[in-house]
Amino acid sequence: MAEAIYDAMGAVLTRWTMGAAAAPAASPWRAELGAEPAEAELRLLALTGQFLGVAVTADPPVGLRTLPDVPGLALPTVPEALRPLVRRILAATKATELLPFLAARGWTAHPADWMPAPNDEDIPDVYAPWRDWVAAAAAGSARRRVEDGLTAENWDDYWPAARKAALTELRRRDPGAARALLAVKLANEGADVRLRLVGLLAVGLSDADIPYLEDITATDRAPKVKALGESLLARLGRGPAAGAEAAELAGFFPVQVKGLLRRSRVIQFETLKTPAQRVRRTALFEVVDIAAFARALKISPEELIAAWTWDVDRQADAALVALVARTGTDALVTRAADAVSQCDAVGLQNLAALAPRLTAGQRSALAAKVLHASSCSFDMAKAIAGAMARLDDPLAAPAGAALLEALGHGDAGPADQVAELYGLGLVASRMGARRALERLNGAGLLQGDPRLDMLRLNAALDDNGARE
Amino acid sequence: MAIDLKAIEQLATDQSSLKAAAGLAKPGKWSGVGMSRDGALVWGECSGSGANPYRVMADLRNLGNKCTCPSRKFPCKHVLGLLWLHAEAIVPFAPADTPEWVSDWLGRRRTSASAPKTASSDAPVEAKDVRAAQVAEPEVPEDPKAAARREAAAAKRSEDTERAILDALDALEQWVGDQLRLGLAAFIDDATARCRRIAARLVDGKAAVLAGRIDELPGRLLALPTGDRPRGAVVELGKLVLLARAFRAAPRDAEIRRAVATSESRETVLANPDTSRVNACWEVLAEQAQTRRDGLVSQTTWLLNLGEAGPRFATLLDYFPASAGRRGSVFTPGERFRGELAFYPSQQPLRALLVERDTAEEAAAPDWSTPAWPTTEAAVVDALNRPLIAEPWTLEVPVLLPAGRIALDDTGQAWWRAADGAAILPVAGDAEGLLRGTDLMQTAALWSGNRLAILAAQTRWGRIGCHG
Repeated sequence: MAEAIYDAMGAVLTRWTMGAAAAPAASPWRAELGAEPAEAELRLLALTGQFLGVAVTADPPVGLRTLPDVPGLALPTVPEALRPLVRRILAATKATELLPFLAARGWTAHPADWMPAPNDEDIPDVYAPWRDWVAAAAAGSARRRVEDGLTAENWDDYWPAARKAALTELRRRDPGAARALLAVKLANEGADVRLRLVGLLAVGLSDADIPYLEDITATDRAPKVKALGESLLARLGRGPAAGAEAAELAGFFPVQVKGLLRRSRVIQFETLKTPAQRVRRTALFEVVDIAAFARALKISPEELIAAWTWDVDRQADAALVALVARTGTDALVTRAADAVSQCDAVGLQNLAALAPRLTAGQRSALAAKVLHASSCSFDMAKAIAGAMARLDDPLAAPAGAALLEALGHGDAGPADQVAELYGLGLVASRMGARRALERLNGAGLLQGDPRLDMLRLNAALDDNGARE
Repeated sequence: MAIDLKAIEQLATDQSSLKAAAGLAKPGKWSGVGMSRDGALVWGECSGSGANPYRVMADLRNLGNKCTCPSRKFPCKHVLGLLWLHAEAIVPFAPADTPEWVSDWLGRRRTSASAPKTASSDAPVEAKDVRAAQVAEPEVPEDPKAAARREAAAAKRSEDTERAILDALDALEQWVGDQLRLGLAAFIDDATARCRRIAARLVDGKAAVLAGRIDELPGRLLALPTGDRPRGAVVELGKLVLLARAFRAAPRDAEIRRAVATSESRETVLANPDTSRVNACWEVLAEQAQTRRDGLVSQTTWLLNLGEAGPRFATLLDYFPASAGRRGSVFTPGERFRGELAFYPSQQPLRALLVERDTAEEAAAPDWSTPAWPTTEAAVVDALNRPLIAEPWTLEVPVLLPAGRIALDDTGQAWWRAADGAAILPVAGDAEGLLRGTDLMQTAALWSGNRLAILAAQTRWGRIGCHG
């Protein structure tokens, strides 16, 4: 009977779709439908609807596929009780700030709360398996699961994010082996991938990398990869011979000697008369390296940093800092960061450009220093220190006093100081966060205030991460 | 922070609010009453006329306040009642962590909300008196003749209503027949306008619930793949015919009347001896808020009974005008609580009212906050179809599915596939992220006869939610 009904359904649906009476086509139900045509159509509709709604479900197509399991990560997901807080912070702010914080504390986000996009580059390497899972899900394919370390033989078995993470780890452990692997496999990758992988040589960069970097700058097809190779060579004192450009740039910054007894050199800033001159100066900063620039000024790079007069020409300051970040040695970057840390609040923003070249410990120390010695805000300290600041008493800094004063104003609104409170939450240690919460509550902020979410998460999250 | 009755008197918009608040200032009306550790915030849940209790919160520093009830008075009687409870210390306000819903409110508050609004300065101020509000009005004995007249009038009204509904259902059947005659292809193309017309006729005929359902019909139809819409239209229109005929057969049946005209009031349900009351531990599976074409927002909360006794699922259904603004969520998906639900009398009880919720036990009883769900019924197809056979006009039924996994077809459409291969069901919408990449040990979902809308699932990653 059900078969006969099912067979009749095609004709019934077709007739109704077109607007024709269907009862004549539903022979299995002839008795139930009766003789009155309009009534028969309604009865048939009721029966058909019930039959289709209950007895008929869509046939699954052949070739259904299931995706592989979302892989577990090397770090545990945040405790269940803190997940709502993490979700709320992720909804309100950038994942690229919270996720490194969690990773530095030894935790990861729960995959039901956050999953990366395949091209999320600025997240901790611990999420590489998820990035590759998302890429595999989008591509509808899977690669062999690789248990051994990355080698030239199993290179293609890795998905890109896991490969980059493995290569980073190999470079930290054995820089020569990582370089040798790149030399064999890099040419087969696309320009974007080559750019990212060559960038890994910045970790543990040494003179041993010079021949390979020279090969890249001479043979690579992509201008961006070449430029990166040149900047890495420049950090090793092997910058391109940009003599003419360096000399032209030096022309904008004459060196003068001052003092009668202790004669010291000071860099002057030529007054720029036209916008074209400014554009030209900017362009020159982008093609020279710091060593060549210093040579053209007839001083060492260290002397150049010492002789620079900060906070006079903001554009020149930013250009010099970018030049050091791109082509300076690690020692010079440290020296430049130290010099910039003496700048005023606006100048301090240049520290964010140097921060990626510093170690986590240096960044943390620098953030603590500028917080206590200047009018640096917590938001800026966050940009300098990243996820590893762990300051024990950040509210004792001038930024803390400014924050408390701003919150204490009678006209302070419930949405004021959001960025500062969030920055404070990121740079504080767990103990620092607890202290800050106490003081802020004492200053009138409600315990349930959502602006304190980051501080609350910080205070509640166990610190499983290693302090550098 | 202290507050006295004088302040409440000033805060109230009128004497009737004060009077109503006095009625609510009784311990039995409230659950989950608490106070932030700094004493600045108070909150509580007050049972009202809706299915859910109203969440009430106030900031004692400036008497800013919020309630999830649909009242247009600000502050509403629930806020005044909560403040009254606190002022008179009628119930203890235990210091506790601020609930997330209070924090959410704090985050959304506008600056102007910090200044409490007492009675409008433009309008003439009505005299208000808390003492007068507390005076119980004497009950006037009713004249027996007047009572008889009132009953007779009510019976006449009920008869008139029934007649009007039956006429409206005649018009509905006529309309359904017209759609078949004109062709379902044309109906699908013009469903919104055609449904609007008959829905308006049904509103005139006092079949308001059915009108709302027909208003939403085009939305449900358009959510289907194009090729499936004629079938969907047949199922939807067939259910309307079945419901119309069920009403004609039993116009006084409360369950059928609920699907056509109106639902009983909270008081009627609670007073009905056939109402089943179930005291159990419940998990909030999901909350769905939908703005309807009639300007109301329907808020549906799906609950899972974690015990073995009583109905497995419950729905709490509330309506409020969209113009009242964002109402805020009463529950958080995933939260668990012990509470008593009163089920509307029905063959298969599902719709319920929350009578009492024991939040004190929520904190003290971690044993049932473990991820276990009740045992899943083995026969999937039977579980899906049984409710649809018993009440064929039902649009969707909640089901608890056994172990399974999401599979994808070539077009990316998701299918739920039972681990034992006994059933493969198409999934509504996109099953994204983690849902696609892990075994679903148990899945709670809504089955609409042709699509499965997943509400939540238990996985090795813990419980994952899919709505809200």
